[in-house]
Amino acid sequence: MIERIVQGMAPADVVKSLQAADGYYITNTARDLSQSDFKNRILLHTDILAAPSRERAGYFSLEITGGASVHVDILRKQVDPFLKLEILREKMPTTMFQTLCRGVNLFGYRPYPQNVIRFTVSEFAKYVDVWRTFDFMNHVPNMQAVFEEVAKAGKINEPCICFSTGPEHTNEYYVSKVREILDVTGSDIVLCIKNHGGLGTPRRIGELVDSIKQTYPDLPIHYHGHNTDGNDVGRITEAVINGAVIVDAADASFTGFYGPPPILSVIQTLKDHGHTAIGIDEDAVIETSEVIRDERKHYAPFESQIKGFQPTVQIHKMPGGAMGSSLEQAVKGGFLDKMPDILHKELPRVQKELGNYWSVTPGSQILWTTAVSHVMEGERYGNPSGDLRNLLLGKYGPFPFYRPEDWIFEKVFGENWKQILEDEGGVEEIEDMDIDQERSTLNERLGVEPTDQQLVLYLQHPNDAVNFFKFTEDFGHVYVLPPSIFLRQGGFEIGETLTFTDHEGKEHMIETGPSMVNDDGETSVYLEVDHYQRQYVFEPDVPEGAVAKAATISKEEIKILAKSGDIRAPFAGNVCEISVKEGQEVKAGDRVAVMEAMKMQTPLTTEIDGIVTAIAVKVGDALQPGDRVIKIDTDE
Amino acid sequence: MCHVPTQEVFLGPDYNKRKGVALKKKILVANRGEIAIRIIRAIQELNYEAVAVYETPDKESRHIRLANEAVWLGAGPRCDYLDIAKVIKAAKRSGACAVHPGYGFLAENPDFARACEENDLIFIGPSSDVITNLGNKVIARQIMADAGIPMVPGTPNLSAGDTGVDEALAFAAQYNYPVMLKATSGGGGRGIRRIDTDEQMRAEIPMARAEAKAAFNDDSVYLEKVVIDPKHVEVQVMADREGNTVHLGTRDCSIQRRNQKLIEIAPSMIGDQDLLDTICDTAVKAATAANYFNAGTVEFLLDENYNYYFMEINTRVQVEHTVSEIVTGIDIVRTQIKLALGKLLSFGQEDVQLRGHAIEMRINAEDPQNNFMPEGGKKVTVYRSPGGYGVRLDGFVYQGYTIPKVYDSLLVKMTVHGFSWNETVDRLRRCLQNFVIAGPKTTIPFYLNIVKDPDFIKGDFNTSYLDTHPHLFEYEEEADEANKLSKLIAEIHHRGENPYAA
Repeated sequence: MIERIVQGMAPADVVKSLQAADGYYITNTARDLSQSDFKNRILLHTDILAAPSRERAGYFSLEITGGASVHVDILRKQVDPFLKLEILREKMPTTMFQTLCRGVNLFGYRPYPQNVIRFTVSEFAKYVDVWRTFDFMNHVPNMQAVFEEVAKAGKINEPCICFSTGPEHTNEYYVSKVREILDVTGSDIVLCIKNHGGLGTPRRIGELVDSIKQTYPDLPIHYHGHNTDGNDVGRITEAVINGAVIVDAADASFTGFYGPPPILSVIQTLKDHGHTAIGIDEDAVIETSEVIRDERKHYAPFESQIKGFQPTVQIHKMPGGAMGSSLEQAVKGGFLDKMPDILHKELPRVQKELGNYWSVTPGSQILWTTAVSHVMEGERYGNPSGDLRNLLLGKYGPFPFYRPEDWIFEKVFGENWKQILEDEGGVEEIEDMDIDQERSTLNERLGVEPTDQQLVLYLQHPNDAVNFFKFTEDFGHVYVLPPSIFLRQGGFEIGETLTFTDHEGKEHMIETGPSMVNDDGETSVYLEVDHYQRQYVFEPDVPEGAVAKAATISKEEIKILAKSGDIRAPFAGNVCEISVKEGQEVKAGDRVAVMEAMKMQTPLTTEIDGIVTAIAVKVGDALQPGDRVIKIDTDE
Repeated sequence: MCHVPTQEVFLGPDYNKRKGVALKKKILVANRGEIAIRIIRAIQELNYEAVAVYETPDKESRHIRLANEAVWLGAGPRCDYLDIAKVIKAAKRSGACAVHPGYGFLAENPDFARACEENDLIFIGPSSDVITNLGNKVIARQIMADAGIPMVPGTPNLSAGDTGVDEALAFAAQYNYPVMLKATSGGGGRGIRRIDTDEQMRAEIPMARAEAKAAFNDDSVYLEKVVIDPKHVEVQVMADREGNTVHLGTRDCSIQRRNQKLIEIAPSMIGDQDLLDTICDTAVKAATAANYFNAGTVEFLLDENYNYYFMEINTRVQVEHTVSEIVTGIDIVRTQIKLALGKLLSFGQEDVQLRGHAIEMRINAEDPQNNFMPEGGKKVTVYRSPGGYGVRLDGFVYQGYTIPKVYDSLLVKMTVHGFSWNETVDRLRRCLQNFVIAGPKTTIPFYLNIVKDPDFIKGDFNTSYLDTHPHLFEYEEEADEANKLSKLIAEIHHRGENPYAA
C-alpha cells in the first residue's frame, strides 16, 4: 500500500504513514544543492522551471528554504524568501516544503532573542511544512523555542542530531541525545541524522541508524548527508537498510561535489537491495534534470573553484554547505594556495583544540576563520574573533565533550581569563527585542508601514533587508529574469533580444542597443523595451588610482594609535554597529563599534577613558585595515 | 527679466526659396503648448501656413517643429508671450494675415484684440469691445440682466473705501452668508474668495482689491450670493458676423480643484433634457444679447434644485472644447478661423446633433497626493500613449520632454468618445491604463481612482466632488515593471555583471 504524504497532513498522520512505510521516501534537497555547490545562487527562476516535474516526482518534501538561503535570497538573488515560497506553493500544491533552521541562530549566525525566534518561525511556518532544526553544539535547549512554535503551527518537527566522527562520537552519545530531544518534543516527530560533512563510512552510518532504531523502533529517521567524498550513496544505502525511512538527494543535472548525490542513483542502488522509493515517479525525476540542465552553464561562476570530490573531508570535516563559500573567500583573499595547510593541518588541529564539536553553522565559521587567521598571521589565537570569544565563554552552549585547554583561554582573554570566564561565562538569556520599536524604525526607513514578513527579514538582517526592499522598489520583481540575464557576465550583444514575463504576467521584450559615453564620462545605455527606445544614464566610474590609496599602516601602528584613542579598523570588514554617539563619555574597555568579516563579528573597544569626538564611518561601510573608525579624546 | 530686445525674426529654413513663389497665407498662433498645436493643425488643414511664436524656455518645444515657421519673441518666461507689441510685430514681419490667441496669455485681453484690429490683423475671436464688456463681470451682469437671463443675486462694482464695505454688508444682510467676493476683471477661477462673516468681509475686501490690482491691474470687486455645491454646466456657442448664433450643447465641468477644471464631460449628465434645452437656448440668447461673434462659452451654475444661473461668458476657445467637437462632429477651431476670415456659419442649429458621450481629462505632470505639485524639471523618459477606437489625444509631450518649470505641466489632453456613458467610462479606464509615462508623477493614478468611483460612474457629481471623495487620493504610484527591470538589465549590460548578485 503506497501512500503519498502530502502537504496539509497532520504531523501525527505523517509519522504514522512513515512508521507503516514499506520502503523509503526521498527529500529533494534543492536548497542544500544550491548552497553547497552553487554558493546559494540557484535562482527562483530555475526552481520555477523545475516545479511541475518536481511536483509530479512525489517527494516526501522539497527543501527549498532555510540555511543560508534566506540571507542570500535578499542579499544576492534579490528575491523575497516569502514570495518565493508563495509562488512555488502555487505551482506545487501537494509537495511539502522543508526548511533548515539553525535553532536559536535561526537562519543567521548568532543567537536571536526568544520573541524574534518565535515571530520568525510563526511567519515562515505559514509556508513551511517540515522543520529540520539543529544546533551546532547539539544543545537541545537552543532548539526548544523553534520546536514549540512549529508544533503550535501544526507543522512537522524534524529535530537533528548533528553527526561527526572521532573517539567521542559514539552511538551511546547520539542515542542519549535522541532521548534528550524526545523528552522535549514528544514522539510525533521525524528524527534527522544531519551528516552535514558527509563524514563516516557507510558502515558507520548503518551502525548509528541501527542503534537508534534498537532503542526507538517507532522513530522515523531521516538521513541527511553530503557527497563531498563521493560516497554518500553508500551511506544512504546503509542508512535505509538499517531502517532510515527518508533520505536526501538532489536533481542529477545540477549535482556537484559537496551537496547531495543524485536522486536516481539512490533509487537504482536501493532497488537492487529490495527497497522501494515510495511514491516516486522516476520519469518525473529524470524530466526535472532535463528541464533545468541547460540553465547550469549560467551558474558556472558560482561553482567550486577547485573541481573534484574531496575524500579529505574526513580529515578537515568542513560541511558541504560551507565548502563553496570558503573556497570563494580563499580566491577573493588570494590564499587558495594555502588551502592544503588550512584544510588538512590547521583546521583539524583547531577542531580538536576547541572541543571536537560539530563543524556546522555557525560553529564551522568559527573554526574556519580561526584556522585561516592562524595560517595567514602565523600567530595562533592571537587575534580572536568576537565569536570565538563567545564560543569559549560558552555563549552558544556548553562544550559537548571537553573544554579547550587553559592556554587557549589565557591566549584569548589574557591573564585574568579565569575571572572573565567566571564573570561572563555561560549561556546568556538574551533579552527580548522591542519588536514594535523595530517595526516603527523600519517604518521610518521605508516610509511605509512594513508587513510582518518584511519585519521578520529586517529583524534578522536589518541593513540587508532594507537594501533589498529598496532594490525591489527600484528594480521591481527581478526573480522573473532567467540566470542568462540576471547572472550575465560581460554584458549583452548589441541587438540581442531578451524576453521574459514580469511579476504581473506581462510579456516583455528587450533588445540591447548601443552604449555611448559623452564628454562628461556618462554612459548612455540604449535599450528597446517593448519596441520603444529607453535610455539609461550611468555616472562615470571613479577610475582606479583616482582616490589616493590610504597609506597602509601596520598592526603595531594600529595598536599604538588605539592607545591614544584613535581607533582604526584592525582588519578588512564591514561596520555592522556603531555603539556610541559623538560627545558620549566612554570608559576603557567599552565597546564603541562592531565590525564583521567573513560572517564573524568582532567588537572594537576603546583603550582609554574619554569622549567620542569623531565617528568616521557609518553602519554598512566597508573598511580596510587601518581605516579610521572612531576618535576618543581624553576629557580634560 | 524681460528686457531682452526682440531679435531678428526667423522666417523658417526655406524662406528664401519660397520668396519667389506666391506665398500661402499665414496665420500666427500667439500661444504655446497643446493649444498651439491644436490651432496649427487646423490652420494647416485649411491650407494656410502656421507661424508659431516662442520664448527661450520653449525653444525645444513641439509646437515650433509642427509650425511652418517660428518667431522667437524673447528670453521669457511668460512675459514675451504676454507682450502685445512683440506678438504684433512678429505677426506683421512674418506676413501673417490673422492671429489666433488660443486660451490664456493674451486670449481675453481686449488690448491685444484691439492691437490686432489696429494693425490690420484679423483677431480670431470676438471684437475688442465684446471682450471688454464680457471681461468686466459687472458690465456683463448688466447686459444679462437687461436680457432677462437668470443670474445669481449680486452687486455692481463696490464703491471705493468704507462705502463699498457698507454696500457689501448690506448685500450680505439681505441674502445671507456665504457670499462670493470676486474681482471684476478676474476669470478662470482666479480672484474669487468666499466670505462667511461680517468680520471676514471687512478684512477681505481691501486684500481682494490689492490682489486684483496686482493681478489684473483693476481693483474693482463685487459680490455674488454663493450657490452651495453647484454643478458647473456650460454651453459652447458659435456666432458669425451676421449674428447667426448656434450652440453645440452642454458640457459639465463640475469636477474641479479650487475652481480649476480637471475633467470635462459632454453633454451634461443631467437627465432632464428639457432643462438642458432651456439652458442652451438661454446661452444663445445671452450670446446674442452680448452681440457675440465667433466661438464662446456661456457658463452656468446649477443649484441643488436645478435652478440655473448665468455666471460668465468666456470669449475664447476653451481647453475642453474637444468634448463638444467629439459629440457634435464640428471642428470648433476650424470654424473659428473661417468665421474670423468672414465666412458665415455653414450649419444651422438643426444640423447640430449630439451623438454619444465624451470625457476629457488633463494628464498633467503633477503629484495629486502632494497638493498637485507640478513635477517641473523632470524628464519624461518613457512616453507611450493609448490608441484605438474613440480616443483623441491633444498632446505637447514627447519621450524626452522635460516638464517646464516656468509653464504649465499639462502633458496631454485625452478625450474619449463612447456611444453610451458606460462605454465611455470603460474606454476612459482602459486608456488611462494604457498610458506608460516614466519620469514625472502624473495625474493618471488619481484619474484611475475617479473612473472606478461609483459616483463618477453614475454621472453624479458637483463642484464639491473632490472634497467629498477624499479616497480618490489614496493610491500607490503604480510603477512600470518593465522599466524597472530594464533598468537592471541596462546596469548589468553597463557593468558587465550584475552588481546586485556579485
